[in-house]
Amino acid sequence: MSILNPEKSLSKESNDEIVRVSNLRFSWGEKIVLQDISFSINSGQIVAILGKNGAGKTTLIKCLNGIQKPKVGKVEVCSKDISEQSLLELSKLVSYVPQSVRTSFPMDVFDVLMLGRRPHVSWRTSPEDLETVSDTLRQFGLQDLAFRRFNRLSGGERQRAIIAKAVVQNPRIYLLDEPTSDLDLQHQLLIMEKVTDIIKNSGGQKSAIFAIHDINMAARFSDRVILLHEGEILADGTPSKVITQDNIATVFGVDSEITLSSAGSRMNIIIGERLKKGDRENE
Amino acid sequence: MDEITTAHQEKTTRQLVMVSSLCLVTLIFAVISMGTGSSETLDMTSTMRIIFGIDNPTKLQSDIIWRLRFPRVLMAIIAGTALATAGALMQGCLGNPLVSPLTLGVASGAALGAAFAIILDFSVIPNVAIVANAFLFSLLVVGIIIQLGSMRSVSAESYILVGIAITFIAGAIVSTLTYFATDAQLSQLTHWSFGSLSRPTLEDTIWIGATVLCLIPMSLIFAWDLNAMSLGGDDFAISTGVDPQITRRNILILSALLTSVVISFTGLIGFVGLAAPHMSRLIIGNDYRKLIPCSAVSGSLLMLFADTVGRTLFSPIVIPVGIMLSIIGGPVFMYLLMRHRGVVM
Repeated sequence: MSILNPEKSLSKESNDEIVRVSNLRFSWGEKIVLQDISFSINSGQIVAILGKNGAGKTTLIKCLNGIQKPKVGKVEVCSKDISEQSLLELSKLVSYVPQSVRTSFPMDVFDVLMLGRRPHVSWRTSPEDLETVSDTLRQFGLQDLAFRRFNRLSGGERQRAIIAKAVVQNPRIYLLDEPTSDLDLQHQLLIMEKVTDIIKNSGGQKSAIFAIHDINMAARFSDRVILLHEGEILADGTPSKVITQDNIATVFGVDSEITLSSAGSRMNIIIGERLKKGDRENE
Repeated sequence: MDEITTAHQEKTTRQLVMVSSLCLVTLIFAVISMGTGSSETLDMTSTMRIIFGIDNPTKLQSDIIWRLRFPRVLMAIIAGTALATAGALMQGCLGNPLVSPLTLGVASGAALGAAFAIILDFSVIPNVAIVANAFLFSLLVVGIIIQLGSMRSVSAESYILVGIAITFIAGAIVSTLTYFATDAQLSQLTHWSFGSLSRPTLEDTIWIGATVLCLIPMSLIFAWDLNAMSLGGDDFAISTGVDPQITRRNILILSALLTSVVISFTGLIGFVGLAAPHMSRLIIGNDYRKLIPCSAVSGSLLMLFADTVGRTLFSPIVIPVGIMLSIIGGPVFMYLLMRHRGVVM
C-alpha cells in the first residue's frame, strides 16, 4: 500500500478543524500587509485565496507555514500553535509550494521529489520512499524527466516537479502559491485536478489552500473562497457567494459578467472593461 | 521494481563505483608520491620495495620515508579532504558557487595571526607561535560568524559580505605590519602565505587528521538540509522542515573549523576548496549525500597530485603546494568547465 493513500478508517476524524487563524496581523515596518485576519478551515476543504497583487495572499500563505512570523495573532495547525512547533514537525503537516524556485545547485528531478521524504526519514531512504517518488513522478507525467537536472526543465515542468515534491511529502495541508502561473491550459487543469483528487480521496484528511489570480480556476476547483482586499478579508464563503460582480469590481476594479454553465454547476466569469474611478458610483 | 526505481539504483551504483575508483586512484597516487623525492638512494623502485617489505631500509631511508614523506602525503590527503569538504558545505549553505573556504575570512584571520607572530613577535604560546596565533585568530573569525548567526534574519549574502569585510580589514592590518617588517620577517611571512605541506610534523598531522575525521561525519548529517537549501533557497528549505538560519550558522561553524585547523598548520591553501567541489558536482551531481564524500576524495587527490608535481618538477627545489594547486588545478578546472559548456551547476 502506497504511503500516499491513507486508510479509509482514518476518515472518522474528517471535517475537524485543521487550520485556525486568529487576529493575525502582519506588517513590513510601517506598512501593514495583513490585519484582523481570522478564519478556520476544516479538513477536506479546498480553499482559494483571491485578491489583487499586493493584497497579502502570499504573505498569508507564508504565515501558515512558519516562513513569515506574524506580529500579532496566532496560527494553529491541527490544534497546535505553529510558533510552538519545530519546523520539522510542521513540515510533516504542511507543505508549501512557492510561486517559483530559484535554484543555485540543481539536482535531478528524482532527487527533488525525494526531498519531500526529508521530514519523514532520518538519513537513509527506504525502498518504499523510492517507490513513492516513482509513483508520484508518473502521476504528474514527469517519468521521462526523472533524471534530468532541475534547471533544464521549462517553467511549467519545474512547477509540476515542485508540486509533486509537496505530494511526496504527504502533508495534511497543501499551501500552493499561484500553482498554475507558469502552466499552459492543459497542465493548469492537470495540476488542479491532481490536487483536488488528492484532497477528495483523502477521506476528509487533507485540505488545500491556494492563492490564485485566475477567478475561473478558483470558482471551478475550490469549495470556499477567501477574498482579500487591502490586507483584510472582504468576503469568505462558497464561490457563488463570494465571486459576485460587486466584489470583483471592488477588488480588481473591472467589470464582469457571471453566468452558470448549462449543467448549472459551473460558474463562468467573463471579465469586461477596466472600471475608471467613479464608474461604480454612477451605476 | 519499476523502471524509474531501477534506473535510480543503477545511477546510485554508478556513482558509488565512481567514488570508489577515485578512492583507489588516490591511494595509488599516495604510494607513488611516497616514491618521489630528491633523495638519491630512494628512487621509486627502492621505495616500493621498502614499503611493501621486500627490502630492509637503512636508518636514514626509514626516516626519509616514514618521518618525511609519509607525514607529507598524509597531510596532503587530510588537507585536501578538509578544505574540499568545507568548500562544498559553504557553497551549499550560502547558495553561491563562487564561495570557497577563504570567503568567510577565516584564512585572513589566520594570516593576521601569523603576521602578529612573525613581525611583532606577539604570541599566545611562544614555542609554537605561528600555528597557535593563526589558529586563535581564525577562531576569532569563527566567533564573529557565530555572533552574526545569532542575529535575527541574517541572509546568506550577509555572511559573504562580512567575510569580505573581514578579509579587507585583516589584509589592511597585515599590510601595515609588513610596512614595518624587516626583510627576514617579510620573507618568512611570504613563505607562510604560500601554503606548504612540509610544516606539520607527524604528531601535528595525526592531531589534525583526528579532528578532521571527527568533523567530516558531522558534515554528512547536514546532507539533506544542504540539498533543500541549495536547491530552492530559504523558503523552500523551511517547507521541507529545515530551519535555514540555524542550519546555515552550524554548517558555517563546521566548515570554518575544518578550514582553520588545516591552514593554521599549512599556511594559505585556497584553490582546492573551490575547484574540488565543482569538479565533484560535474562528476556526481549536486546531491550532498554523495557530493560530500566525492569532494573529500577529489580534494585529496588534487592536493596529492599538486604536491607531487611541486616536489618533482624542479627537484630538489620544492614548489609550495598552494602555488602548484592554482597552476595545475586552474587549467584543469577551466578545461572541465568548458567541456561541460560552461555549466557549473
